[in-house]
Amino acid sequence: MVDGKDLFSHFREHSVAEFFKKNKQMLGFSGKVRSLTTIVHEAVSNSLDACEEAGIVPEIKVEVKELGEYHYSVKIEDNGSGIPKSHLGKALGQMLAGTKFHRYVQQRGQQGIGIAAVSMYALLTTAQHPHAISYYKDKKISCEISMDFKTNKAELLNLIEEDNKEGKHGLTYEAEFKDVEYKKSDQGIFEYLRRTALANPHAQITLTEPNNETIVFPRAIQENPPRPKEILPHPLGVGAHDLLDLARAQKENRKISAFLQNALARLSANKVSELREIVKDVDFDKNPADLTWEEAEKIVQGFKQVKWIAPETDSIVPIGKEQIEKSFMNIFNPEVLAVTERSPKVYQGGVPFAIEAAIAFGGGIATAGKKGEIMRFANRVPLLFDAGGCALTEATKSVDWGRYNLKQFEEEPIVVLINFVSVYVPYTGAGKQAVAQEEDIMDEIKNAVMEAAREVQKYISGKKKAHEIETKRKVISRYIEQLASDVTDLAAAKNKNEIKKKLEKIIEEKYSQGGEGEEEKEDIPEHEEERVKEDDESEEE
Amino acid sequence: MSDKTAIEKLEGLGKKMVKEIEKEEGPTFETTLRTKSNTIYDEGVGCLRMGDKKELRKFLSVAQARTFMQTVAVAAKTKKFIKEDLHASIRSLFYQLKFSLGEDIDEDMFSEQQESNALIEDLEVALGIKREDLHLTTERKGVVAGPIIIKDKFGGEESTIDGTAMGRSGWGIPSDVDNDIDFKTTAKYVLVCEKDAMWQRLNEDKFWKKENCLLITPKGQSSRGTRRLLRKLADKKLPIYCFMDCDAWGWYIYWTIKTGSMNLAYLGMDFAVPEAKFIGVTMDDIEEFKFLQKLTIRAKDVDLKRAEEMLGYPWINRHKEWVRNLKLVASTKKKIEQDALQGERLTFVGEYIKQKIEGKEWLP
Repeated sequence: MVDGKDLFSHFREHSVAEFFKKNKQMLGFSGKVRSLTTIVHEAVSNSLDACEEAGIVPEIKVEVKELGEYHYSVKIEDNGSGIPKSHLGKALGQMLAGTKFHRYVQQRGQQGIGIAAVSMYALLTTAQHPHAISYYKDKKISCEISMDFKTNKAELLNLIEEDNKEGKHGLTYEAEFKDVEYKKSDQGIFEYLRRTALANPHAQITLTEPNNETIVFPRAIQENPPRPKEILPHPLGVGAHDLLDLARAQKENRKISAFLQNALARLSANKVSELREIVKDVDFDKNPADLTWEEAEKIVQGFKQVKWIAPETDSIVPIGKEQIEKSFMNIFNPEVLAVTERSPKVYQGGVPFAIEAAIAFGGGIATAGKKGEIMRFANRVPLLFDAGGCALTEATKSVDWGRYNLKQFEEEPIVVLINFVSVYVPYTGAGKQAVAQEEDIMDEIKNAVMEAAREVQKYISGKKKAHEIETKRKVISRYIEQLASDVTDLAAAKNKNEIKKKLEKIIEEKYSQGGEGEEEKEDIPEHEEERVKEDDESEEE
Repeated sequence: MSDKTAIEKLEGLGKKMVKEIEKEEGPTFETTLRTKSNTIYDEGVGCLRMGDKKELRKFLSVAQARTFMQTVAVAAKTKKFIKEDLHASIRSLFYQLKFSLGEDIDEDMFSEQQESNALIEDLEVALGIKREDLHLTTERKGVVAGPIIIKDKFGGEESTIDGTAMGRSGWGIPSDVDNDIDFKTTAKYVLVCEKDAMWQRLNEDKFWKKENCLLITPKGQSSRGTRRLLRKLADKKLPIYCFMDCDAWGWYIYWTIKTGSMNLAYLGMDFAVPEAKFIGVTMDDIEEFKFLQKLTIRAKDVDLKRAEEMLGYPWINRHKEWVRNLKLVASTKKKIEQDALQGERLTFVGEYIKQKIEGKEWLP
């Protein structure tokens, strides 16, 4: 177990609460159903990351209660390491203070505004303070979280600190929200958690719905995935905005030149000299804290003209073929399942990423009422919104499904899972729900989906063939009784039953799996179209 | 064909299938391919017949299983008819076989008569047997009058029919003139007259008495019975003269009598009368008998289409006289009915026919 203290030394402060208050839709708080999903998403992502960082297999409980019209309470409980009292306020009530923001590692959340934004939303809609219980080491801390939107400072109210008598660990976060709605739709919490469970087979997730029904998505794998290696951002993977954030968040370096070398991968002193030549109007000796947006943009443009060594690819940790298989069997139990295992690729000339694709068909997929569904994930996080402009959706739809016996893709009992794995996911917006349609990404997704589709097709065509053979057997079998009787009469024979049994045996042998039932080519000379018909010869009335 | 032979053929088919089943093979039977491409005009004898192409019908083929089962059912049923010495129309055969295949099977043995009709043809070809031999009857359509004495063994009794004593109606030609029927005739020739109305005219005129001929009308397209009777009369060396409308349809009726039809080509010489001659009405008659010029009517699209088809048949277009007449129909878009010959005088028809036969003014 990793020491929590070490983890929380990364906290930094930003005074941006006021900005986000005005732009809450950017964070996913638009629409009642979506807002509730965002709340659960932020909390569950944090919980999963916290558990994994602490080396604990996650067990997460989500409970939603309806308090009134569009008025709910949500409780999220995890079994992570808990949060020490000193960091509780920052962790739950201070924007851009998260552990993740300043570390370049493949993680679920990328901007660290998550749960603080949820707290903010609770306060804005209900004026009720979110409540937290943290079991951290030998302490149990209960408190309410208060936020000052102007100064972006959090304050803990009604704090009770006790001995951790139960010896538990983890965080329970509970808050009330208005202007939200629980719906069992494709964009609701149920589907979000089901997909989260699908992409995180090491987690056990329990949902208690407003009607008091409890659904458990059981753990399929008993150990956590390996931790992704933390790496510095690659110059080709950062935007002006990222660069600016990085610059403002650090205090160690007094000069931009030193900051760049320490904050970015593959950026040596030699490369800084190259950049100085390319971006002449930026003073690389000035303090990074004074870096302007325009300067950051110019530097990022300059990055593109330098030849870089590609980033390390071992920063990428996919879910894994075997894990996805276990997970699908656990949650959907499909009739057929194909999962790809592909090596990482790069986009924008240097950002490593990997695509995992899985196609599940029939069986439990049909039972669950899924038809032609594309389940999108970025670093295991389900993307439920903005499907339209997303590379994952568009690339999947561009596949010629007819080639794989799945022409009616949208009507077939089929689920396509795509997990985009990268330290840097090129989202199209701050809502983090759609991946940009970069050409390299689109091509790789399409190839991965087609690889899985080929495997599924083999199964489907085999199944269709078996079905056809069975249909033929049935068609012919219905005439056995009559034919046996008439042949017996016609031949003036007496052994009708024996003839019938023989006929049954002949048909059974021909129309069985592995039988020759499928070769039916000589059937065609029925010459229907050529058959002479002279309607005006009324000789046979 | 005797009943005994017919039963032997049917049982032979059944026994072959039983043998196949006992060897654990799917039952089959072979039949001649009845397609346009396998229909041949036999120049030697002057009739249409089937070529050598065969097809194998297989119960184990999904596409054929149902018709196979039905064919065997028809065969078994007709065997029963023969054994019981009863005759059935193909319509009654259809009703005999229109039953459900089983309580749990939502399917009838036959649902439409069209289905059973085609199977009877299959069976005829496969066994080399005529449906009449299977005790299946077809509609009686033709009528004959004149010097013919018929002995008809039917329903356990034998009756003698005198073709000269049939009054205004004539003797209805049965569907089967081969089994249990004998006849003799003193006639010099046979006149086949397309339309019943014209036959009635000639009958009233006592044409058959004056000419000592047999007067037959098929009432349009000839029935199987009529065609068989004509064949048998031709076998007795009687010339067969045909008198039809001057249009593609009337001429086609003539050609069916002469060479057989493609539809029943598998019957070959049994149903063809290559000796038949066409005495009229022709397009040339319009020139020869001036009064006819006012009595032409407009050829319909079906007439023109039929004429064009006939021009494509090698057994017709080898005769330049026919090509000329068919082309005249197409170019003048005119036709003339045999009834038009009564335009001046009702009794002119007889004179016309006599002139044609005596002057040997006929088309091949």
